Formats: sequence, structure tokens, C-alpha cells
Amino acid sequence: MSNTQPAAVASERTPLKARKVSFAWEKTPLHWVPGDPFTTHTINVLHLLLPAGERWFIHVYRQVLPYIHDEQLREDVIGFIGQEAVHSQAHDDVLPHLRELGLDPTPYTAQVDWFFEKLLGDRTLPPGRASKWWLMERVATIAAIEHYTAFLGDWILNAEALDRKGADPTMLDLLRWHGAEEVEHRSVAFEVFMHVDGGYRRRVRTWAAAFSALVFLWQRGTRFFMENDPSLLDGKASFKAFHASGKQGTLPTTGAILRSIPSYLSRSYHPSQEGSTAQAVDYLAHSPAALAAEARTTGTS
Amino acid sequence: MALPRLRTVVLVSGAALLTRRALKRRIARSPLWPMPALAEPVSGHSRRRPTTIRRLLITERVPIADGVVQLRLEGAQLPRWQPGAHLDLVLPSGLVRQYSLCGDPDDPGTYTVATRLVEGGRGGSREVHEQLQEGEEIEVRGPRNRFPLVEAEAYVFVAGGIGITPVLPMLRSLAARGADWRLLYGGRSRRSMPFLDEIEKLGAEDGRVTVVAQDEAGHPDTAAVLADIAPGTAVYCCGPEPLMDAVTAALPEGCTLHLERFSAASTDVADSGAFEVELHRSGRTVQVAAGQSVLAAVRAELPHVAYSCEQGFCGTCQQRVLEGEIDHRDELLTDDERGDSMLICVSRCRGGRLVLDL
Repeated sequence: MSNTQPAAVASERTPLKARKVSFAWEKTPLHWVPGDPFTTHTINVLHLLLPAGERWFIHVYRQVLPYIHDEQLREDVIGFIGQEAVHSQAHDDVLPHLRELGLDPTPYTAQVDWFFEKLLGDRTLPPGRASKWWLMERVATIAAIEHYTAFLGDWILNAEALDRKGADPTMLDLLRWHGAEEVEHRSVAFEVFMHVDGGYRRRVRTWAAAFSALVFLWQRGTRFFMENDPSLLDGKASFKAFHASGKQGTLPTTGAILRSIPSYLSRSYHPSQEGSTAQAVDYLAHSPAALAAEARTTGTS
Repeated sequence: MALPRLRTVVLVSGAALLTRRALKRRIARSPLWPMPALAEPVSGHSRRRPTTIRRLLITERVPIADGVVQLRLEGAQLPRWQPGAHLDLVLPSGLVRQYSLCGDPDDPGTYTVATRLVEGGRGGSREVHEQLQEGEEIEVRGPRNRFPLVEAEAYVFVAGGIGITPVLPMLRSLAARGADWRLLYGGRSRRSMPFLDEIEKLGAEDGRVTVVAQDEAGHPDTAAVLADIAPGTAVYCCGPEPLMDAVTAALPEGCTLHLERFSAASTDVADSGAFEVELHRSGRTVQVAAGQSVLAAVRAELPHVAYSCEQGFCGTCQQRVLEGEIDHRDELLTDDERGDSMLICVSRCRGGRLVLDL
């Protein structure tokens, strides 16, 4: 039986606390991966999905708090919520800058807002079983999405190809600060799901829904940016371009994405088996955005 | 047999081709079809922008009265503001000081502030006067407005010295729309009072402006200016504490009072008194001790209340306030949000009692 139970790696656990960050966007260009609009815009889709998505995580987790009866997990969830709130704010604050650069994301983000606030929001359901079912369904969906945010967090921390290409340091710091916190708290959503429900059929079902939705929204977001980029005459997004960027190391490889599927669906999966908390914590100790905010806070007192 | 099968294949593939063409045309017409959009977009439209640093270029630094310099700060796409708003300047030493905006609210590229050098002050004004030079950049936060111009039948302003700065844009706006206003403007000497010329021009007709320089005529008579005002008049005062106390004492019945105080915003929970918080929906009341946060007191009664950073930046613990005067100590919420909600981890109560929608 031992290989059918999620096996947590105890040494990967760390106390969670939201960090204040600040970014100066004035000098970040539209194509912040120089000469590579496709990679830029594929990663930019994060700014479209995360503000609404992470607000939704918090909305759901506020409701799940009364179902958590483990003190340590409760503390992890409290820390998780604050980190997600700051992530949402930080990505949200990039959107006005994109607008200033001539690429207004509102037509797309208004749809993502609808997706998370209406489609996945609190439905009109009778209290009791139906409401709880919908809450558990969403808790499981968050666990599946967090599998991918942890995957992307681990990837961005190690994506040296972006440094070699001369990517904008402020944007890279936003992504790596965020990615590092995702790696740091990667077990929380899964443990919440296992604590309040943990059903394998629900895990598979919500993974399928989350993965399909992510692929649909992501390709749509990349196409939206490529087609509306004021500096591109005939911007097109294609799977071929995605695969090529993966080979160059400026985006995750197609193979790594495919391999992440059986890993989440394995009965012995636990998020602590992948990624490195030590690497994440080390980045966070040096992240310019976190240091800048810290200097501002201590400066005021 | 062969014929109907062929016909089916042709029909099905024809239908498929037509559907594909229709979909392509539909998407070409509106590329984001078929997902609906939220009627009022949220993402990217927040007025909070808590993680963004805004640095402005100091393009002009001019003395405009004895001991008063005016700074012109330029940047791109600056947030709009309303008369009465102030800006936080993050000074080179890390000190944060608040200065009222005294330029044109409709100028999207410029903020103007004026500061007086305070002898023996807490160092902020000295730093502005001695260290900020043209061509340098300075970090700003805001603007925020705790001193908004409300709709009223008539207005009386009492300004002391540099306290004229938030009032000036109000006067311009009221003069432009022909409202009924009066101003009592006091200062040490005419040479030390900024914007005198402009103000006297604004109030040239009907003697709307009374200027009282201490070296010529002593202290301004606040009681006299407030004595015969009509009910429904909005009274605005900004200046030294004794002046604001005098105006508060002389305020006639039926008039509203609006004060602008520039105290350093305290974020220290230890530096605060006790008060009572009623949790309206739960029907309970908790006591918040001096030095204790509202959150800590509420958690004792409602263990599942959401919170996280406990420092006023993540926003998780925001709660609706039904009654009571809030002492906001966070940097996150917008002026609108501050009207009826608070972050219970850091913000407190100015009076003795708050009612939360919990």
C-alpha cells in the first residue's frame, strides 16, 4: 500500500508568510524578452489570468477555512492566502503598464474576470450537500492549478535562457519572486484538498477540467496579445513556435508539460516531491522587489 | 449501397466545412467570441496599485514666499485627483511626508506641491528644502484625499499659512463654477503667505477674501467670520492646531466642519487606546485593548475570520464597517474603500466604538 499514499518530503516544508514587494515598471519595454514577442506574450498571459484567478483562490479558501481541523495546515493556509493576495496585486499592477505601452488587455481580462467570478463563483445552490459539493470541486480545482503554478515556478527559477537573452530584470524578478513563493507553498493546496476531501476520482476530474481550461485560456491569451500588439504587423501564435521556444529554453518544453500529467495523477503524488524549497527561499532572500519593499517599510518608521 | 454512403460522406464533410467557415468568420468578426465578459472589468482597473513604485522628475523648484518652496513633479499618466488631495513624498532618507496638491487637477503629467521650512520640525521639511533639487527623481505615493470638497450651498474656508495649499484648488474650482464662498487667510506676514496674489485676484469681486497678516493686524478673528453664516454652509479649515481648535469651537449649528491634519500616520499598534467593536451579524461585542489589534480581539470570538499578513498590505482581513469613525493605518485601501471598510489587522477606531458587518 505504501506506494499508493501521497508521500510528503518533510524537509521541503517551510513556514509561510506574505512578503511585501514593489516594482518600478517605467523602464520595462513591451517586448521584455528582446526580439522575441512570442515568448514575451506567452509569459504575459500570466498577467491576464492571475489577478482574477488568485482572487478566486482566496475567495474559495475563505470558505474552506472552517473545514480545516489541523492547526499546522490552517497556518499554512493563512500564509498561502496572503501570498496569493500579493501575487494577484503585483500582476494586476502590470496591466496598466501594458495599456500605457499600447496593448490594452481589458477585452481579455474582462472575460477572465467573468470566468472566475461568475462561472466559477458562488452558484445559487441550496445550502448543505450541493453547496459543499461545489466548494470541494473548487478546492480540488485549485490543487490541480497549483500543480501547474509550482511547475512553472520551478521552471522560471531555472530558466537561465531568459537571462542569456537579456530579459528585462524587473519582469524577471516579478516572475521569479512569484515562482519562488509558488514553489515555497506548493504543498498547501494539495494538502487542503486531501484534508477536506481527497477523493481520487475528483482529483482526476478536476485535473482534466483545469488542464483543458488552462490550455484553452493560454493559447487564446497568446493569440490575443500577438494579434493586438501594436508593433507587430501580422502577429500569429502557433504550437510550432511554442515547441521551438521550449527547445531554446525560453518557455517550458512540451515534453516537460506532458510528463507533469502522470505525475499529478499518480496515487503517490505529493507536491513536495518536485522542486526545491531551498532554492526558492534563497531567491526570495535576494529578490530586488522584496528588498525594495522592505527598505521602504523600515524607512517609514 | 455505394451511392447513399458517398452522399453521406459528402454531406457530412460539407457540413463540417461550412461550420468551420462560419466559426472562422464569427471569430474574425469578434476575435474573443464566445466567452462573455464581466460588465465592469476588475483586473487592471483597480485604483490601489499597491506594488507599483512611482518616481517623478522634479522639473522646477521655486521659492514662492518666505520659507516656502514649490516643487513641480512630472511623470506620465499620473492618477487624477480632486481638490483637497495630498501626495506622500518618500524623501531620500526614507522619511515619508504628506503635502497637499496645489496645482491643476486636470493636468495628467504634473503634480505641484508647496512646503514650508519648519524650524525645529521633524526633519521632513528641512530635507525637502535642502536636498531636493531640479533634475532629481523622487518616489511618491498617492494621491489620497481625506479633505474632499463636498456639495454645499455655501463655503467658508479658514487657512493658516501653508494650510492654504489644499484650499487653493478648491477656491479655483468654486470660482470657476460661480459658487458662494469666503476665505479667511491668516499668516505671519504678507511676505510669508504663499499664493496671495492669485487668491486676491480670485476673490476680487464681492470681497470674498480677508487676509490677516499677524505683523499688521494680529490673529485672525475666526469667531467673527463664522458668526453670521447660513445653516448648510461647509466650513473647511487647514492650519496650525490652535486655529483649527478655534474654528471647531466657533462652528455654528447646522454647518459641517472639515479639517485637514498632517500628523505622521502611525502604524504602531502599541501607540493607541482601547475601544469596543460590535460584530453586527454575530450579535456579539468584543473589547479591543490598547496595543491589541481588532483582528486579535475578533479572532477570539470568530476563529474562522480570514486574515494573513497582519501588516496591512495583503488586504485579506478587509471588513465592512457599519458605524464608527475609522483610524486607517494601512497603505492599501483606496479613498472609496476607506469610506465603509477597513483592514482589521492594523486599522483602529477614532471614537470609542466600531460596528463591523461580521
